[in-house]
Amino acid sequence: MLASSIPKKTYQLSIMIEAYIFDALRTPRGKGKSTGALYEVKPIDLLSTTLHALKNRNQLDTGQVDDVLIGCVTPIDDQGYNIAKAALLHAGWAESVGGMQLNRYCASGLEAVNLAATKVRAGWESLIVAGGIESMSRVPIGSDGGALLYDPELINKVNFVPQGIAADLIATMEGFNREALDQYALTSHQRAEAAWSQAYFTPAIIPIYDRNGLPLLEKDEHLRPDTSMEALAALSPSFDQMGQLGFDELAQQSFPMVGQVEHVHTAGNSCGIVDGAALLLLGSEEKGKALGLKARARVVAASTISVNPTIMLTGATPASQKALQLAGMKKKDIDLWECNEAFAAVVLKFQQDMDIDPAILNVNGGAIAMGHPLGATGAMLLGTLLDELERRDLETGLVTLPVGGGMGVATIIERV
Amino acid sequence: MIKYKKDTDNIVTLILDMSDRSDNVINHEIGQAFLPVLAHLQAEKKKGQLKGIILTSAKKSFLAGGDLGYLYQAKDPKGIFEFAEGLKKFLRDLERPGVPVVAAINGDALGAGFELALGCHHRIVVDNSTIKVGLPEVKLGLIPGGGGIIRLMWLLGIERAYAILAGGLRYAPKDALRVGIIDELATDSKEMMEKARHFLRHTKVGRRPWDQGDGKIPGGTSKDQQMARKIRFMATSLAKETYNNYPAQQAILNILSEGSKVDFDTACRIGTRYYTQLVLSPACKNMIKAFWFDYKAIKEGENRPKGFGRFRPKKVGIIGAGLMGSGIAYACLLNGLEVVIKDVSRLIAERGRMYAKQKIETGLAENTIDQAEANNMLSRITTTEDPSQFESCDIVIEAVFENAQVKQKVTKEAEAYMDDYSVLASNTISIPITELAQTSLRPAHYVGLHFFHPADQVPLVEIVKGAKTSDETIARAFDFVNAIKKIPIVVKDDWGFYAARVQNTFILEGITLLQEGCPPSLIENLSLQAGMPKGALALADDLGLEMVLKYEQQAAAHYGNKYIQHPAVAVLKNMIDELQRTGKFKRAGFYHYEEGKSHIWEELETHYPLVQTGFDRVEVIERFLFAQVIEAVWCMQEKVIRSIPAANLGSIFGWGFPAFKGGVIQYINDYGIQAFIDKCKQYEKSHGQRFSVPKSLERMIRQEET
Repeated sequence: MLASSIPKKTYQLSIMIEAYIFDALRTPRGKGKSTGALYEVKPIDLLSTTLHALKNRNQLDTGQVDDVLIGCVTPIDDQGYNIAKAALLHAGWAESVGGMQLNRYCASGLEAVNLAATKVRAGWESLIVAGGIESMSRVPIGSDGGALLYDPELINKVNFVPQGIAADLIATMEGFNREALDQYALTSHQRAEAAWSQAYFTPAIIPIYDRNGLPLLEKDEHLRPDTSMEALAALSPSFDQMGQLGFDELAQQSFPMVGQVEHVHTAGNSCGIVDGAALLLLGSEEKGKALGLKARARVVAASTISVNPTIMLTGATPASQKALQLAGMKKKDIDLWECNEAFAAVVLKFQQDMDIDPAILNVNGGAIAMGHPLGATGAMLLGTLLDELERRDLETGLVTLPVGGGMGVATIIERV
Repeated sequence: MIKYKKDTDNIVTLILDMSDRSDNVINHEIGQAFLPVLAHLQAEKKKGQLKGIILTSAKKSFLAGGDLGYLYQAKDPKGIFEFAEGLKKFLRDLERPGVPVVAAINGDALGAGFELALGCHHRIVVDNSTIKVGLPEVKLGLIPGGGGIIRLMWLLGIERAYAILAGGLRYAPKDALRVGIIDELATDSKEMMEKARHFLRHTKVGRRPWDQGDGKIPGGTSKDQQMARKIRFMATSLAKETYNNYPAQQAILNILSEGSKVDFDTACRIGTRYYTQLVLSPACKNMIKAFWFDYKAIKEGENRPKGFGRFRPKKVGIIGAGLMGSGIAYACLLNGLEVVIKDVSRLIAERGRMYAKQKIETGLAENTIDQAEANNMLSRITTTEDPSQFESCDIVIEAVFENAQVKQKVTKEAEAYMDDYSVLASNTISIPITELAQTSLRPAHYVGLHFFHPADQVPLVEIVKGAKTSDETIARAFDFVNAIKKIPIVVKDDWGFYAARVQNTFILEGITLLQEGCPPSLIENLSLQAGMPKGALALADDLGLEMVLKYEQQAAAHYGNKYIQHPAVAVLKNMIDELQRTGKFKRAGFYHYEEGKSHIWEELETHYPLVQTGFDRVEVIERFLFAQVIEAVWCMQEKVIRSIPAANLGSIFGWGFPAFKGGVIQYINDYGIQAFIDKCKQYEKSHGQRFSVPKSLERMIRQEET
């Protein structure tokens, strides 16, 4: 054992510290375009509103917080220059609190939680805010440039395609037809609407008001409860043209067994582009007790993996398996699952590979219905999962997001 | 309310003519009134029977500003938001359909009135220098609420728009053209209408830059690196100038920065949110109270004795061609009066002419006056050493140096030639008028007129009533001050009158802090952060420490055995007698003065060692302001000043009490009367009796409210 080779010192931490979740909240998601309700809201306002709410809900002395970790995928312009620290100062939190922005693409919000848990478990920090923000209406995806998107040498070296092409590639290889994807999308809308109408989300939602207290957004704006199979079927494929421009070929160069990439993803069965923010409060048991914070769940395990960059979005399964292994758990030990609905095929593949009962996967809908505010989504999913475990009085849940570059992230929590 | 005329060229002229008022104003009704007109115009356009629209006014002004009575009272954010969005929608409905609209501006177009002009595709103004156009909202702590901020940004770029909006100037037509807020000048109304028709005949479609898909904001948006850097420095220089005490200017910069990144309508809505916040802000309410309501009350003569006909001075005599006399003379010249400047010799009296000449030359260089005006002004100056020249003057103002005998001598000389109707005014800062008037031949006509340096710039004049000054003389002095467009406040003939007396309490509080061991830099910087124009110690040096002490000794004499010595007195005596540092005049005071620069005297710390205890910033700022407010309340109680509007405006214009607080008495309203009284009690306990509240306070404030 490696550990035995390290000389034991008396000041070494000997007790395993667990990381607990005390609170989770999120904003409603606004449509990510200039007609969206949150378009006029600066990202620092969105984030500081959630910081305010977190502080007030927990009667938090912000000076007790060690660090604030914020996922943000396009950290330029309004979201640039470390939005975590900017929003902390905007919200008037104690000067002593640190802030960091991080980018694990669409899993950034979950990665923030995992990093926070890791820091707590290391014993070096005891109270951390973790979450994410993305104002896609103001800072469009990809507007930060980057080699993977725009460097011709790298694109052609790794056959890097847009995520929609990757999703269509998955559907093609797995034989998911348009109807199956639309059926999944319809379920997402129905489940999300049912959850909203029964107020399942209410405890976590922080409505957004303007500087005078006038309401801007109180409910997810992207949701279309009245959609139908017919309406979904009428939508044209989103990535057909892009494929024809050469990305299909690029995909085939990595996967020559594919005859033709079927373009089955539409605006209806892909995630919505939205604005939003989410936060969780994590810390050690000791800190929670000292501040009178009630531990709601323990972070059991967290994992990161990466797969082939061309097919890109198949990382949910290996990430989940790795997390289960770290936790010493089996698939049957998980009561509820969340897999980000980046595209319908992604979730269907995950469900199929893991052989999960669809009834316990994404039970309150997901990003297809409510939208996917890149940096924030991971934190939103974890909060939603925790709320639902409590509502159903279940114990364990797993969240996973397959993301850009082939990466996958997963987190397992257990109620306490 | 809106007259509609259509000519054979299919050009429609809309004439604004609101019934039952002398001015057209922007209020809740105007958008409603326009609705059927706009709908009709749309129908005409569809039929191809509309070439363009000319918008003009039947009143003396094109369109006066918004409804300040409403804004002052408004408390409901939703109502304010909807009011401003309604105005914006009306202007969008006017500019968006594609029919070109010309604003034919034949009179003042200010504030919301000018916003209507900005909502048109072309602006023509009659070139008459008495006409004023612009967006002066910041002067009332407000911002344009109709989208004018965003329109100006799109027309001129962020930098130029900011300078115009944050400056809040009222422009004469020529200046308006120069800064770019109008498009054309016309010599008269007839030419204006001809030019408007010409423009419409040659303009097919009226499409604003922001409604064109490829339109760009000149100079770029805040997303552009270069502009972002400029905005960063605009923000810091704003903070440097205002110490973040004036939210309207900050809001303008925020709206420009945020609004440049989004589409026009979203930018306008962001503007409405800031607008709503401002209307609800204390600074805005305080400034509307002071600069609109209090100003109007004073100008309408609430302090002027009733029953005397209006005095119309034409010729003004000035005794003494020093800085003060010259400044007063120039103020008179600016407002069309003739002046006779007398000094011991004609040669010395000529200094008054030189002063005016210099100012006029600057005006010519800056294009604020033209050559004809300049010649006219210079032709109205006479200089002399002979008091008989005052024979034809309506009012003679003595402005020689501060010595009672000299003042009495020169005024008596002048009085010998003055008729029974004319007024003799003495400009003194510390000698009682009653004392000066003792040797007067006509004490009923003798009055104090306290100008502040520089007299042609500071807008306040204290009218001092001596024991024998008649009410009629006060009324005339009042009319004279109005004639030179300054603000008259009537004050009692006590030490320091009103302004200097109250200002002195600020200085004394600063000196007291020094004695308590507070770092001088903290005193000076917190003075500025409080909103005062200068640090308390620097101000003491400016006035001279002997003067500061003298005012306090006069207070001691006035109150007799009820007087409790101010803790600053010991410091002043020590500085004057022991350390021989009496102020800026001697280049040695709390500061050390060298050519063109100054710094806190290095040895000050050895005489007044710093203590290690922290000084609470909020408390220091409050001590500065409370000291003045309490003294002003005493002045009200002792009838040194006669009304709350006079006390408020006197404080802002007299010695620079923070405008965003609305003046000394409004400060209490803003703070909350009970909260203010409670805080005074607390400060009285910790800092001494000078913070005790006059009993009259509550009664006085409540009276005003009813």
